[in-house]
Amino acid sequence: MGYVISFEEANKIFADLQDEYEIWAPKRFVGMGRYSDTDLIKYDKVSTVEEIEYMDKSDFPAKEVLTPISESMFYFTEDEFIESKATNKKLLIFMRPCDIHAQHHQERIYLQNGGYADMYYKRMNEKVKIVMMECTVGWDTCYCISMGANKTEDYSMAVRFEDGQLRMDVKDEVFAPYFEEKEEISFQPEYVEKNQLTLDIPEIPNKEVLTKLKNHPMWQEYNKRCISCGACTIACSTCTCFTTTDIIYNENSNVGERKRTSASCQIKGFSDMAGGMSFRNTAGDRMRYKVLHKFHDYKERFKDYHMCVGCGRCIDRCPEFISIVAAVNKMSKAVDEIVAEENK
Amino acid sequence: MNHDIDIKKVRINCFRQSKVAGEFMLQLRVPGALIQAKHLSMVEEVCEKWGNGTFHIGTRQTLNIPGIKYENIDEVNKFIRGYIEEVDIQTCDVDMESTDAGYPTIGARNIMSCIGNAHCIKGNVNTYQLARKIEKLIFPSHYHIKIAVAGCPNDCVKANFNDFGIMGINKQVYDIDRCIGCGACAEACEHHATGVLTLNENGKIDKDTCCCVGCGECSLICPTGAWTRGKTLYRVTLGGRTGKQNPRSGKLFLNWVTEEVLLGMFANWHKFSAWALDYKPEYLHGGHLIDRVGYKEFVKHIFEGVEFNPEAKMADDIYWQENEQRGNMHVMPLSQHKHAGPQSSAN
Repeated sequence: MGYVISFEEANKIFADLQDEYEIWAPKRFVGMGRYSDTDLIKYDKVSTVEEIEYMDKSDFPAKEVLTPISESMFYFTEDEFIESKATNKKLLIFMRPCDIHAQHHQERIYLQNGGYADMYYKRMNEKVKIVMMECTVGWDTCYCISMGANKTEDYSMAVRFEDGQLRMDVKDEVFAPYFEEKEEISFQPEYVEKNQLTLDIPEIPNKEVLTKLKNHPMWQEYNKRCISCGACTIACSTCTCFTTTDIIYNENSNVGERKRTSASCQIKGFSDMAGGMSFRNTAGDRMRYKVLHKFHDYKERFKDYHMCVGCGRCIDRCPEFISIVAAVNKMSKAVDEIVAEENK
Repeated sequence: MNHDIDIKKVRINCFRQSKVAGEFMLQLRVPGALIQAKHLSMVEEVCEKWGNGTFHIGTRQTLNIPGIKYENIDEVNKFIRGYIEEVDIQTCDVDMESTDAGYPTIGARNIMSCIGNAHCIKGNVNTYQLARKIEKLIFPSHYHIKIAVAGCPNDCVKANFNDFGIMGINKQVYDIDRCIGCGACAEACEHHATGVLTLNENGKIDKDTCCCVGCGECSLICPTGAWTRGKTLYRVTLGGRTGKQNPRSGKLFLNWVTEEVLLGMFANWHKFSAWALDYKPEYLHGGHLIDRVGYKEFVKHIFEGVEFNPEAKMADDIYWQENEQRGNMHVMPLSQHKHAGPQSSAN
């Protein structure tokens, strides 16, 4: 059912919803951007429509709501442990279509991969209801269409932000009571139909070509350009890697807390092993790993789609102006060259 | 040509005497070193019509037009009226009349700035906007003062060699929950700044707040936004100067002060200078006045009625180190150098 409601009416609904829900949405943090007098947009709890940043793309993805950059797993004493608690409330998250698609990647890795469901993810994921933020134009770093992530019907509600009012598609019956006596309209969200960027993902026909691609000189460019900061993977909607750390409380080494913290394959030391072995020691190696993981290995394993939704946040956040789209397109060219050479 | 020219009167009008008799170089103020590009065509016109066709980029970021004949000064002053009005009176809100007489004084010198955060990725503050606010407070005054505003402690504008050297800084804020322990900030701080950050055994950052210069390298490099810029503040060096007699770099004077403190201080400059020089302007820059009065006395005057922000720090005393051009204690012919260590017999 479609409705049109004023911001004022929406804020009353927000107030009612908050008895049961935490409402999460992208929010603008003034002056907190990388450069001075620039802003940062990241997910945070909101209680009014006005707090939602719906004009600009968020710097950081919606995944942070379910898997914050660092979280406590459990607290331990000498002979027992106590698990950390998740929020008691349900989660209503405002997401763009790309973030909703990314949610499926997150679910796959945390809940289905290796026959094991991560309980910290599960307990959060069960609480989620999605409000899709209509996205019809996108930005110059978006390539959601290339990744098939521009459209989705996987939402409880969809919203179009207009000047002082919201148009909403309320699909989930759970939310119908909140909209009683609100003005009914016919409303279906629209989607991005065209991106400025397009991605040409190569088919890698066999292992020989893959091996040659891994050794291709194209990756060396990133030894000079990439500073291995990991901003791309932290901003990535689909990346899930984390590491765990035991934090020991003060002088008692048997009492402490286990935390998990986002990790990045782009940062030196990511592949360090006990005994001192380390892999992918150059920025180019790490870039190759990331690009192939996202645009080859993942699909090779799961068979359906690549590990990218085209949100373009990695491009937005890269302080060195490295574009994943350019990297993948270069890879395509390299594969063509290798295949042509093989067929000679 | 006219051989009876009051050079000092012309100098106060911002026309500098040339070695070519009867010629002068006009110095147009550019407070904060940023103006609308359209003014450049006006400058070009002055250069070509009344100057010698060349243009000099002033060392204090003025627009310098050499080769102007004394007899044309009145005409040039009329021509630049619009520029002075737009740049100083309108943009900087300077309290002075728009006239055909050119600049009323050369006293308070052009306020220099690096490009600041209007462009620079390292800049912490908008330098030209601050410079314009200071211009309003110190110009026009016959008392001499040299001020420069740097966007960050890198000090590309060499504010350190001015009477007052201002640098934009921030109290960086650390969100421990967003930190992934990559150590990039610690590395950047070590490499670019003062090395006050260390990665601890819990994979988080410890900071030696004492020696942080507030430059923001940590916020620039942080991949997660764990480091962000907090309050915009300033550090100020005092008493820097160049010169033939006793050049010296400025000494740290204020740290972590707000713009309000800075502006409050500059609002007292004219009053302090007048008092220090017994109400008779001299061709003497700010640092020399502070030397005469003594630092502690200077501080009493310059902060009259100024309220400090809680983070603010001020030098209790300052011990300048002058580079005495007269002494030349250690500069001597190579043959007179003392030697240490084994010497070859040929010597």
